[in-house]
Amino acid sequence: MSVETLNAAVHAEESGALGRSGALRRLARDKVAVAAALLLTSIALAAVFAPVVAPYDPYLTDLTNVMQPPTAEHWFGTDNTGRDILSRVIYGTRNTLMLGLVGVVIGGALGGVLGIWAAYYPRADGWIMRLVDVMLAFPAILIGLAVAAVAGAGLTAVVIALVVATVPDVARVARGAAVGVMGQEFMEAGRAVGVSDRTLIWRYLTLNCISTIFVFLTLRFGQIILIGSALGFLGMGAQPPTAELGMMAAQGRDFLFMAPHIATIPSCAIFVIVLAANLLGDALRDVLDPRLQQ
Amino acid sequence: MGRQIVHRLLVSFPALLGVLFLCFCLLQVVPSDPAMIIAGPDAKAETIAAIRLELGLDRPIPIQFADYIGRVLRGDLGRSIISNRMVSEELALTIGPTVELMLGAMLIAVPLGLALGTLAAVKRGTLLDRLIMAISVAGVSMPVFFIGLILIQYVGFKWALLPFTGRTGPIWDGGLPSLILPAATLGLVLIGPIARLTRTAVLEVLGADFVRTARAKGLRETVVIVHHALRNALIPVVTLIGLQAAFLLGGAVVTETMFSWPGVGRLAVGAIVSSDFPTAQGAIMILAIAFLTINLLVDVLYVYLDPRLQRP
Repeated sequence: MSVETLNAAVHAEESGALGRSGALRRLARDKVAVAAALLLTSIALAAVFAPVVAPYDPYLTDLTNVMQPPTAEHWFGTDNTGRDILSRVIYGTRNTLMLGLVGVVIGGALGGVLGIWAAYYPRADGWIMRLVDVMLAFPAILIGLAVAAVAGAGLTAVVIALVVATVPDVARVARGAAVGVMGQEFMEAGRAVGVSDRTLIWRYLTLNCISTIFVFLTLRFGQIILIGSALGFLGMGAQPPTAELGMMAAQGRDFLFMAPHIATIPSCAIFVIVLAANLLGDALRDVLDPRLQQ
Repeated sequence: MGRQIVHRLLVSFPALLGVLFLCFCLLQVVPSDPAMIIAGPDAKAETIAAIRLELGLDRPIPIQFADYIGRVLRGDLGRSIISNRMVSEELALTIGPTVELMLGAMLIAVPLGLALGTLAAVKRGTLLDRLIMAISVAGVSMPVFFIGLILIQYVGFKWALLPFTGRTGPIWDGGLPSLILPAATLGLVLIGPIARLTRTAVLEVLGADFVRTARAKGLRETVVIVHHALRNALIPVVTLIGLQAAFLLGGAVVTETMFSWPGVGRLAVGAIVSSDFPTAQGAIMILAIAFLTINLLVDVLYVYLDPRLQRP
């Protein structure tokens, strides 16, 4: 078999779980999953196009109009300095989603590479998995606190915490998936016809593990958003006047008894985002990768 | 039994060193040079150099780190910049309330989670099952502070049923009312994952041969469920509680901050906000050690619940 034919065969395998016929159709039949996907898409679109969607400037204060409960002009009311809460929630969602996404993407990439290396190079396996065990010994919130203490509170501290929270679990899942792929015939065939290590790792191994990693990351996304917003709530993340949902909830706490909506609306927004992400993740897992069930 | 625990200790040790190193770095980044502060603003360069020498600040970082570990082992964590008290004293005052809060949360979450999960498994496929699962998904998606805000707003403020700021004292000395709301906040978020996993585990066990045998020999259904099914389903659930330890700890930091609960988490957050580095490093270290200890305890409990692991 020539290298070209083999590569073609691997490509057929590559489309993997995501392209498996009927998977999307089965997902489309799950009403909860469809609703969650639609909700999440519209939230993401609103976040991306925040400048267009937001009815007001999220930083524009209006001291003649503070702590208004929801009205026709301000759907979510105004906060303690008269800023429009709906606009701030839209911008806050943008920042919160961005944090979660950056954390999951960087953490997923690092964890994926570690896991696949561990599966491909048996000699590195022990060391990599021990490193992963050590990383697992740090609760994410503590990492956030420690980094914020050393480097100052800010988005960087939160991103580092979220990456550390993502890497070890992804590495374990990726290693498990990659060990399975290593046992397949095309890996041996590739080695036999002299495909380079690099091609074997990137084209043969990684592309076949990617859907498992992807499903796992979707499952984790909600948790990552929760950790990020908790750090924001503690004041370790975005600093005022930047809008970030966790931080907005913390600021509204001071006015809880006069104007509870200032704190509850951003909290509710986080809840809706995470709920949609969790429901979609569960449905994706059931359809694509039931092995992740534990 | 021994192997599991030895493995956990082996993993914990580098993690502990990592924590110590992070905490050590915290002391290194103090924005101003401690020698200059001690010497005062008008000091000559030689005086500062002499003080640096005396404090050991001129020596290589690894040696300073070894020194630091020595001091930590002796319980000397430095002095708080803000309160000027020893950090170890501050920690001794705050660790009790934190443990109290976590135990309170577990006392609420574990029985409720186990009961709901078992109920959902036994009534599998019914409306009740779906309702319990829906509640647990919602619970998993809830930020800790959202639950706290709702409890403070309604139970604490509007209905004025329970206190919601600070801790009035130890439980045996009238402190119970002030513990309920914080513990409930932290406990409620844990019910979801526990119920979910219990349901899966019980369903799995209910299909096992020994459950069929138990039923065949005429045991009452309650006995089958509680003594045969639940006991065996506990094993994965205990693992989950270990995995949730990180979550519990993070949640405790948020809960303590919300309820002005005088625990280690609130101490850490306050210290970071006010740049009190010695206190921050001490508090973070204690929290990390607490986390490692919880994991160790879970491993021991695991072996106790699954006697198969006790064989060599």
